Amino acid sequence: MTGGGVRSLRLDDFDVDGAVRDTFEAMQHHTRSGFLRQTAGAGLAALGAAAVWPSEASAAASSDVTILNFALSLEYLQASFYTEAERIGALHGALKQQADVVGMHERAHVKAFKQLLGSKAIKEPKFDFHGVTESANTFRSTAVAFEDLATAAYKGQAPMITSRSYLAGALAVHSVEARHAAWIRRLAGFLPAAKAFDEPLNAHEVVNLVNSTHFVTLRDPETSARTSPHFTG
Amino acid sequence: MIAGFALSFTAAALLSPRLVPSQGLARRLSVPAPATFDGAPVARLPSALDIRRLVPLSDPAGSTRWAAVERTVVARREPTVHSAPVGVLPARTPDGTTNIVVADRGAGSGGRRWVQVSLAVLPNDTTGWVPRSALGGWSFVNTRLVINRARLTAILWRAGRVIFRARVGIGAAGTPTPAGTFYVRDRLSGFTNPMYGPLAFGTNARSPMLTDWPGGGVVGIHGTDQPNLIPGRISHGCVRLTNAAILRLGSLMPIGTPVRIE
Repeated sequence: MTGGGVRSLRLDDFDVDGAVRDTFEAMQHHTRSGFLRQTAGAGLAALGAAAVWPSEASAAASSDVTILNFALSLEYLQASFYTEAERIGALHGALKQQADVVGMHERAHVKAFKQLLGSKAIKEPKFDFHGVTESANTFRSTAVAFEDLATAAYKGQAPMITSRSYLAGALAVHSVEARHAAWIRRLAGFLPAAKAFDEPLNAHEVVNLVNSTHFVTLRDPETSARTSPHFTG
Repeated sequence: MIAGFALSFTAAALLSPRLVPSQGLARRLSVPAPATFDGAPVARLPSALDIRRLVPLSDPAGSTRWAAVERTVVARREPTVHSAPVGVLPARTPDGTTNIVVADRGAGSGGRRWVQVSLAVLPNDTTGWVPRSALGGWSFVNTRLVINRARLTAILWRAGRVIFRARVGIGAAGTPTPAGTFYVRDRLSGFTNPMYGPLAFGTNARSPMLTDWPGGGVVGIHGTDQPNLIPGRISHGCVRLTNAAILRLGSLMPIGTPVRIE
């Protein structure tokens, strides 16, 4: 948690039945705390590079609803990011094309997961991207981080999905996230596919990495009040 | 290129024990055969994922972005800390709500991001540059309100379409409603003063005449207890609507909506 109206994304936001939390508590004491501190300090470029870490939660049980809500939270994050970038209009050329197309994909993912979850879908949090959507350089590095993160996150959850149909759906999204990652990595001057094997991230690691950005905010501005105006009349 | 792809795909298919489950071929090519192949059908995608058409943003360049002011900050003439101050941007409005700003444009300078914003100071339409770090996350609106002082009308547009129209009361000759480009920055209700009706919107416009008014002479858009004076030039600078009209406007106009008074 942080002050100043900014809070962390919490597991409770999507872990409606505590399954993911139980999984974390049962994990071995092989924590990533040092790694995560380093990531938070190094900023978003490190976040992208860090999105390949072996998952320890892959063998744990978890409800499909929890996993789908976890996926939805990541899709909210990405959809908001690309939508904001497109509306602000600071991108041009190939980078703008990437943002516009990927933004449409991420909004479609949000729509699909919300429809799939129905009333069990978590609400969209508020985001403050702290200006990273306002220049090509910061957008690019953040987009690399998000796409690598999403790809690793889906990989981490896929083995725990019990429904065959949901697994097919998750994999359908996962491969698209991987294509997004390759696309933006190429635009950022990285190898689109740097390794022969990608590794997953578990939900705890993903949440910690998202929290390190402080992109999730606590509340709406208090722009409404029950008070008498001081207007001239 | 297509031919090359087809050739590659054919080669891949020949190497795939799933597509060509021939044990003899697999052995010859040193590809490990699957332990079992039950011929199970491919799992169907959930119908919710059957989204055939991608939807682009409608008129992304036509939206207006606004952000909360997270800390009181000096606004400067140019996007640099060495530039002359043009005003102070407070974190709260005179009514105690979170202050917001609408962004005109952004710039980078000295490794910092800056945003040019309209200020709630006199003269009206004064702009200044503030550090991006003093602001919260962006919100976007696609509405705009136009107050026509000659015709005594208020028209609300959303995505290029008129969605609200009403007659208004504006400032009297000695206390005119100022012309300019402003924005809605707060929404007040639940008060007992009937003069403002049931709902009032605050803007960043200031009365050039009533500078000693509590709060500095903020121009609002609100209801009234004298509907018989609408339309007319009868206010102290605020834009007055009938109570029915302001409530209808309240259901349509979000915070951050640009307001052009012409």
